[in-house]
Amino acid sequence: MSEDLPVLIDADAMLGRHPRRDVGGGTAAELLAAMDRVGVSGALVTNMTSWLHDPARGNRGLLGLVAGEPRLSPCWVLLPDTCGEIGAGFAEAAVAAGVRAVRAFPADHGYDLAGPDVAPVLDALSSVRLPLLVDAGQAGWPVVEAVARAHPRLRIVVGGAGYRMLRQIAGVLDRAQNVYVGLADLSSHRGLEWLVERFGAGRFVFGTGAPYRDPAEAVTRLLWSELDDAQVAAIGGGNLRRLIGQEVRAA
Amino acid sequence: MNRLAQAVWERRPQTVTRIVDAHAHAGPYSVFFIPDPDPAGMLRVMDRCGVAHAVLSSHLAIQLDAAAGNAATAAIVDQAPDRFSGYLTVNPWQDPEGELARWGDDPRFAGIKIHPDLHDYPLTGARYAPVWEFAAASRFPVLTHTYSGSPYNDLHHVDEVAARHPGVTVLAGHSGVTPLGIDQAIEVAKRHERVILEVCGSYNSGADIVRMVREVGQDRVVYGSDFPFIDLRMSLGRILFSQLTEEERAAVLGGTVTGLLGGRGA
Repeated sequence: MSEDLPVLIDADAMLGRHPRRDVGGGTAAELLAAMDRVGVSGALVTNMTSWLHDPARGNRGLLGLVAGEPRLSPCWVLLPDTCGEIGAGFAEAAVAAGVRAVRAFPADHGYDLAGPDVAPVLDALSSVRLPLLVDAGQAGWPVVEAVARAHPRLRIVVGGAGYRMLRQIAGVLDRAQNVYVGLADLSSHRGLEWLVERFGAGRFVFGTGAPYRDPAEAVTRLLWSELDDAQVAAIGGGNLRRLIGQEVRAA
Repeated sequence: MNRLAQAVWERRPQTVTRIVDAHAHAGPYSVFFIPDPDPAGMLRVMDRCGVAHAVLSSHLAIQLDAAAGNAATAAIVDQAPDRFSGYLTVNPWQDPEGELARWGDDPRFAGIKIHPDLHDYPLTGARYAPVWEFAAASRFPVLTHTYSGSPYNDLHHVDEVAARHPGVTVLAGHSGVTPLGIDQAIEVAKRHERVILEVCGSYNSGADIVRMVREVGQDRVVYGSDFPFIDLRMSLGRILFSQLTEEERAAVLGGTVTGLLGGRGA
């Protein structure tokens, strides 16, 4: 891509097979090929194993999957440590392993993201300044707001917003300045433009939901938006770099 | 990267091919907030991307009142007849014969829209009989909502009405929506040559659309967006960046539906 074109960094991608959709083998090579097809330069990736089988094993395995892949950066999945599954030093271990963000699946992993069980983990993430990624369908907007209020230094990126939630999204973005919205399936008609006009481009983070979602959706939605080039550049990668406080590797 | 995808990356409207959106709506919808749901906001998005034409049914028609909603659809077409044409919405509970008689000869309408899920009435039900009769006589295509697993518009319902009415062109809206539904829609389309796969929905992908075209042919798959229910660019992007050939892409984006409309509207 030309240096004049925006650099897109996908904050919402995964490696691995999916049990309810043919996404291929879910290998790094396949993800990189999909990224090249649409022009995405780099990605934060979560291991499907961490989501849909064994978070601790998936987190450990992810480091091997992205080793030697300079365009892919690891994103671990958290759990409450009430059963000793992730260990007391989870956040510090994540930083030491080069993890750039942490993702939560409270609905699928059976805990309350706003409850006391996971609060120490979220506090620890705040301390090491790792952002939290969570899909709207995993927590719901009232829970997102409660977590944002309880952990005001925690930066929360909510993905999978769909097209039916602007009434709730706008309220939460207005009241909770540490909440950001991901672009994967942010699909209200002119919703991106409407939200950016009200809350600024700084509150939005490019993501695709690949491989479950076709990354062409988010690429087309952002690049063919009515936003100006500076806004597109911020959403495409600049905001994520700021959130993680360091460079995300890109091609 | 193909020329359409290049236009996306260069952030300019595409001028490569004539894009016709076969599945559009207009206006507000009570279940959720839609920014700028009226024709001006829709044209703004179409112009941004280079979409020439959209065939639409007003949200008023499908959600609440077919009579008032069809009048709203006709009024929208009047505002930009070169950019919009209408689907005549039939609600099985709201005088199907009367709506077909009132609008059937109106040049602002190019097809029929039915939404069994919204009206809690099966696609195979007797109240839709006037639709099939009218469509067979007029050659209007019938766009029906489909959703795998629905009690009202599952793919087996499409299979049944296509078998009963082999002369009617049925656009399977959303092609079943889910990964399973897409597989089922392809199977139904293979059995009935006048079942056309329309590709908008929250779970479709470019790879699925390529598979549809390979399985049933480029003359059986059409682009739709569902906008402003869903943003037009979601479905469009899947096609633009897919691995269709240029000929296939042009057919899916507009050539096929233009032929199906038979000179009406688009």
